Amino acid sequence: MTTESAETPSTAPAPVAPAAPGKSARSLARARRRHSVTRFWREYRTHKAGLFGLAALVLIALAAVFAPLLVGSDAQSVTDAPGRPMESPSGAYPLGTDQFGRDLLGLLVWGARISLAVGLLAAVLSVAIGTLVGITAGHFKGWYATVIMRVTDWFLVMPTLVLAIALASVMSRSLWTIILAIGVTTWPTTARLVRAQTLAVESRPYIERAQALGGGHGHIMARHVLPNVMPLVLAQTTLVISGAILTEATLAFLGLGDPTSVSWGGLLQDAREAGAVSAGHWWYLAPPGLAIAVVALAFTLCGRAVESVLNPRLGATR
Amino acid sequence: MLAGGAAAFTLTAGLATPLNLAPQQAEAKADDGKKVLTVAVAQSVDSLSPFLAQRLLSTSLHRLTYEYLTNYDAKNNRAIDGFATDWKPSADKLTWTYTIRDNSTWSDGKPATAKDAAWTFNKVMSKEGTATANSNFVTNFRKVTAPSPTKLVIELKKPQATMAALDVPIVPKHVWEKVDDISKFNNDKDFPVVGNGPFILTDYKVDQYVRLKANKDFWRGAPKFDELVFKTYKDQDAAVSALRKGEVSFVAGQPALTPAQADSLKNEENIKVNEGPGRRFFALATNPGAKTRDGEKFGDGHPALLDKKVRQALFLSVDREAIVDKVFQGHAVEGAGYIPPRFSEYAWQPSADQRMSYDPKKAARLLDEAGYKKNGDGKRVGKDGRPLDFRILCHATDPNDKAVGKYLKEWWGDLGIGLKVECLDDVSVPWYAGEYDLAFDGWSVNPDPDFVLGIHTCAALPVKAKESAATDNFICDKKFDDLYDKQLAEYDQGKRADIVKQMQSWLYDSGYMNVLAYPNAVEAYRTDQIKSITTMPTAAGNIYGQDGYWSWWSAVPADGKSSSKDGGSTGVIIGIAAAAVVLVGGGALFALRRRSTAEDRE
Repeated sequence: MTTESAETPSTAPAPVAPAAPGKSARSLARARRRHSVTRFWREYRTHKAGLFGLAALVLIALAAVFAPLLVGSDAQSVTDAPGRPMESPSGAYPLGTDQFGRDLLGLLVWGARISLAVGLLAAVLSVAIGTLVGITAGHFKGWYATVIMRVTDWFLVMPTLVLAIALASVMSRSLWTIILAIGVTTWPTTARLVRAQTLAVESRPYIERAQALGGGHGHIMARHVLPNVMPLVLAQTTLVISGAILTEATLAFLGLGDPTSVSWGGLLQDAREAGAVSAGHWWYLAPPGLAIAVVALAFTLCGRAVESVLNPRLGATR
Repeated sequence: MLAGGAAAFTLTAGLATPLNLAPQQAEAKADDGKKVLTVAVAQSVDSLSPFLAQRLLSTSLHRLTYEYLTNYDAKNNRAIDGFATDWKPSADKLTWTYTIRDNSTWSDGKPATAKDAAWTFNKVMSKEGTATANSNFVTNFRKVTAPSPTKLVIELKKPQATMAALDVPIVPKHVWEKVDDISKFNNDKDFPVVGNGPFILTDYKVDQYVRLKANKDFWRGAPKFDELVFKTYKDQDAAVSALRKGEVSFVAGQPALTPAQADSLKNEENIKVNEGPGRRFFALATNPGAKTRDGEKFGDGHPALLDKKVRQALFLSVDREAIVDKVFQGHAVEGAGYIPPRFSEYAWQPSADQRMSYDPKKAARLLDEAGYKKNGDGKRVGKDGRPLDFRILCHATDPNDKAVGKYLKEWWGDLGIGLKVECLDDVSVPWYAGEYDLAFDGWSVNPDPDFVLGIHTCAALPVKAKESAATDNFICDKKFDDLYDKQLAEYDQGKRADIVKQMQSWLYDSGYMNVLAYPNAVEAYRTDQIKSITTMPTAAGNIYGQDGYWSWWSAVPADGKSSSKDGGSTGVIIGIAAAAVVLVGGGALFALRRRSTAEDRE
């Protein structure tokens, strides 16, 4: 998987013949990066599904960021709840109210914040762990790689949800617990992917050259391997996010989330506890469920598009 | 604490049940013509041993399977004959003589006599780890003897008012004396369990079901149903769906059905929603500094709560009217005294100037006086620099705890007090360890209030730190203890009620136990499976968790073929739709991921 954009940073330090006096190596690199971003975007634009996913994400992210302006900062307050409990949808409350009389539309918008934040942070944590493990395992080989890959395998066969539930129930209930629980249970896939890519990169001649020039372990991993696995890591992150959002919703639905913060999974849990399922109050159940599905789908679409742009082999098949 | 269910793994209950569309044959008529009454309960059994059991489900099972010396009349809660047909005190009030009925037999054929009763009481008194459940009844006992099979004599150290309300199940001596260590024996090894109540316990699977069969030889008359099954549904919504489909005949009102569930069931054909005044109080308990009987302190309760003004300020800033109106949506009565108004003889109401109504301004003033002033960030900080940040223990299985927690967080947040709601499946671990600041608390109250008062006496404190004990909330106060002893020794009903009210008044002022509400019992049953059933009190009472065996003993099966409705209600469809969306979404995601990663490998 050799894409030009990926190799860019690794070649940056090598002085490309003294250019025109006004252009330093840095400005050259910058120009090249700008160029590759433009090219990336041009490629990305050709993926309709990816564009659709991106648009949905931008919309939801904007709603989450501007939640206080959109629906007011007291939408989560139970003491100032404007409506009667469990009202059906009406002009005043387009999605009805919850058991405290709060506007469900407002809660849905506020819930996007938690769901997105947890999804992003957990995915970043998971991918960070996975990348670290993958690169070191691929680089050092030998007994270290054997041991750490067996640990990875062990985590891989453990059912993620069960492990996350166990973690979330022994630690105190907060947002960070959920992030940690998802992060430390979902990294093995990334680790395996990154290790494979690391092995491929390290078998190239320029790594040997770097070593011959005195490049240490740290230098090789940070300056040569990492930039080359970055595209893969980026694509993997986008894909992990949707998984993390689903897991967060599941954990919150199982009552393992922070009971005082509003998230989509938490809304489903509240609905179930209030008896909305048996009472048939679909307006309480359907919106958070659909929101979870839409965001997960949007991230997956984006991830797929990014992946196929960065990986020409994938792109060619389409 | 009573409400604390064991680990509620709700995934299966929440998702599996709505998906289970296949109409199931109602169980009211099994294939062999046996009439079975199935009750959906949320609580799990803590122990089937009468010496250890404390939860409502377990003690209700003991009511059904063992006889007590006396029973309570379903009409007016007065003591009526049970295992004893007659009881009277001596002139000095220190010796009570009970006449034991001669027509009660154990289910293995042996006669049940006064000897069994004497053995039971002596076991509880021996304190070999056998007094967990019933210690408050026997601390005052000097000696219990059975001079003849029909005569039981109890000698007391001091007069005791609860002698006609000894809620101690009498166990068969010939079975129980073979048990090695009663303090560890849960009575769940040999089935059927030998008993002499209206039902006989025949089978039990942890967190699945408890099966009982009718005792045809019961002296008061055999129950009309042949079998009684308590089926565990950790998820109340799943239980409601099961009721709609006719899989269960009855959904227990503990926790009470939510307003949405009750409203939707009211419109359902063949289902009756029964609402009665509750036996329970729903309170906010504050940790008064956990300590052992010897005064050894343990736990990590917030020191600010040792200040009465802080405790009162917390209570003053709780709008109980709003809680009844919003959280319970009218299915509860606003809290005041410790004993629910249903027990009118003992219930107490604070006078106008004693009442701590919702008054956040006064609460703020009290906190200022106590030295907890607001700092620059609007947080109240003590002189030692420690902010007023409290933790509250909540039962993860009780939606009301979580709902009220949200309100408390906002009300107290306005005052500058931080609150962290810690919801656990099993609160008993931090509770016994004293590692909490505040906690949601609730007990079912008996017609005789002795037990629920006894759990706040110094004698109920644990012997060793962090050990389980009869104490509810580590309260230990000389004045309360003196009043407790006084009420226990008072035979005059009116005077005793006065003392009990004084105790409640003290408890109210102390701020240790802040009763928020008395939730109504909201329960529902299928009228095409149960024709009639006795409530207690008979007029507008509850069915599940009565102070007697009246409901299940009196239940009459419906004649007609029970129609089993398929569960095609909107809720179920939505449930399926939601589950399907999640499943399809998840499945698609994983499929995509698999595909993508497969090609990534070099």
